[in-house]
Amino acid sequence: MPTDRTYAELLEANNLIRRASDINWWLCQYRTVQESALFPVPAYMMLSYLNAYYRYPELVRRIEEVMPAEELGDRARESCTTLMSTPIGWCLHNFYLLGREYLMDLGVVRATDAVDDAVTVLSFWKRFMLAYHRADAHLTTGDFGNRSQVFPERQLQVFESDAIGCRTGDRLQTALAQFTATAAQYALLAHCESRPGIQNEGPYRVGDNQMMVRFFLNLAEGDFPWLDGVASDVPYANLVIPVVLKDTRVSMLDDWSMFDCEPTYEPAHVAAVGLYTSDYLCDGFKPVGMGSADELAATLEELRDVLRLATNELWKVFASYRRDQMLDAGALVYYSLPRDLAHITGTYDQDDWFTLDERVQEFRPLFNDEYARDALGELLGYLSYAHQQSHEYTMARYSDLPRHMESLIPYSVLANDEFTTTSGPIRPGSTSLPPKTALWSTTRGKLPIDQVNALARSFRPRSMELPYRFLDDEWIKTNYRDEKADELYRLAQTGSRTLEGRGAGLLRADLPDPKG
Amino acid sequence: MKAQGTAPRRNKWGGEHATPTVKAFHDSIRARIADRFAATGKRWEDVVFDPGFALTRADYAEVEAELLATGYRFDHSAQISVVENPEKYKASGEAAAPVVQHAGDGETTVVGYGDNALPLDTDAEGVIRFVDTVDKVFDMMAGGVPPDTIAVIEDAGGTLTAPILEEFAGMLCKGGTIKSHLGVLAREFRIPCLMAVELGGVADGDRVRLESTKPPPDTSAEAARTGRTDRARIWKIG
Repeated sequence: MPTDRTYAELLEANNLIRRASDINWWLCQYRTVQESALFPVPAYMMLSYLNAYYRYPELVRRIEEVMPAEELGDRARESCTTLMSTPIGWCLHNFYLLGREYLMDLGVVRATDAVDDAVTVLSFWKRFMLAYHRADAHLTTGDFGNRSQVFPERQLQVFESDAIGCRTGDRLQTALAQFTATAAQYALLAHCESRPGIQNEGPYRVGDNQMMVRFFLNLAEGDFPWLDGVASDVPYANLVIPVVLKDTRVSMLDDWSMFDCEPTYEPAHVAAVGLYTSDYLCDGFKPVGMGSADELAATLEELRDVLRLATNELWKVFASYRRDQMLDAGALVYYSLPRDLAHITGTYDQDDWFTLDERVQEFRPLFNDEYARDALGELLGYLSYAHQQSHEYTMARYSDLPRHMESLIPYSVLANDEFTTTSGPIRPGSTSLPPKTALWSTTRGKLPIDQVNALARSFRPRSMELPYRFLDDEWIKTNYRDEKADELYRLAQTGSRTLEGRGAGLLRADLPDPKG
Repeated sequence: MKAQGTAPRRNKWGGEHATPTVKAFHDSIRARIADRFAATGKRWEDVVFDPGFALTRADYAEVEAELLATGYRFDHSAQISVVENPEKYKASGEAAAPVVQHAGDGETTVVGYGDNALPLDTDAEGVIRFVDTVDKVFDMMAGGVPPDTIAVIEDAGGTLTAPILEEFAGMLCKGGTIKSHLGVLAREFRIPCLMAVELGGVADGDRVRLESTKPPPDTSAEAARTGRTDRARIWKIG
């Protein structure tokens, strides 16, 4: 019996694989090199891909039994979860596909294996991304020409209007520059030398200026066991920082959430700044310390001091780890990047996201530093694995080479029975890391995970209720005088210093304190 | 349907591994799986996800042991790797030192080149200190970072030096690109920094000047195709 997947499903899945493959090669060639003398980075990346291959399909199926991918994408847009450009836009499908490609080169699986798994992951990813990017109507930042505009007008008006102006060298601008530097360093360390804790959205037009929305994620005690104790004084899991840039054009925001500016980004170019927190239990974005310029500067200074201390303590923790523990920490940071899907649905289980499946543990002896570096280099750079070769007339996007990073699903599965549907259910996992002991820091307080899950299951942001969920900017265009439009805008304006209760009729010129 | 036989399915369009370790490991693993599959007498689809068919941790350990038995030793990137298993890895310092052309330049000597991660109005100066181990970072955490330290860092990551990075007067990183994590942090902290540095003829305590006024390199795909001539210089000045 051939597969019961349709030709149309496979056509779409292969389209998504090829798009991912193209953009991933470009990112790996031209955007960065990731390495560390502290963490065995390539080794943990390879392990994370394997865990993704064996676990993502079932996790995605379980999550979608509770909430459709499209609704999860909407939820991620309406508040700050970790489900942004890198953690899900780039990782979810690519990690699965890279695990598949690696296993194919080892001869452990074939391109015709686990067909339903691949289609499930890709379909989920696409529907999530379309909903998350509903406002700009693209699939990824790469598809949008390296730009991302996920927020609707109602949120952007609040970000702009509430942002507090600063000048070259004043206390607020200095505090912001010092905070973002310290937060970036802490986030890189907390994520074991990977950057998903630092995300960006934008740019957005603000008159003659541009606005970026910067995010520092997973800062407080939460899913990462290594932050227990170390981050007990960090008051916010996520911080959201809209920055209005003057005399600066953001020329590129890539799928790894790195942005380039012309001229180069400098703190002196920040004309206004805001500060918010949010998470999967939060209805929108809550202002933090935004009563005045002095209050915001003092808040950023205090947060910087807290993060600097946490950085030193966390570094000592990692410096005391064995290689196995460093390997697990890095692999599980990477693999667990989409885990806020489980948090939103109230199905989060630490064993699902912070253990390595017993099938993956078998591969562990392979990953010495050199083999892992070269296996990763061949997979992402040289494209020298057998299945990555295409026929001699091929010219791949970006490279012009007859090679592709990630292989398609052969359509032969529609014609014969030489295929399998799934790698099977998740198997028990293990980790060499210390057990998670601290509470989870959320916008509802520090809570045990059972309570976090219970709150998540009963929580639905008001903007996600009908009819608000489907009242987008296209509808607003001709219905901004409708009472429902006012109600929707007032939701985003809740807690706003300058726009509380102002409703849907405002244009930028009507803002009490426009920044461009 | 019959089993496919012992030979793994090969790609018509080739594919040769680019590195010896991957070739050795993957050839060995494929051969083991092919042998095991042939012994089953079953269809591939009936065994591929059978736990009893999969190679085990012991099998994969043998794959590595086979290569080590030839006398081969691995490069390391994370220090913990060679600390825990020195027998598997080349000793530190076995890697070839970068060759740098020493050229007289007025009263100074060019001792290296790098890509400028943070263009500034003035060149940076300071004293070379090699910060390349966890122990050295611990020492500087305890005793403080000496003034004017230009840290020479082996890897482009931002984590090894995380607790002390902010105290550096400058950084010379032997790896990475200006978009690597260390380059990102250099820009955030406004610390002069050259990446992908080739450096020779300097020792701990030497005074150097970094050409921090050099524009950043063009890292675009187009520039990669056409070649680059925009490296910043490092001078030994004392």
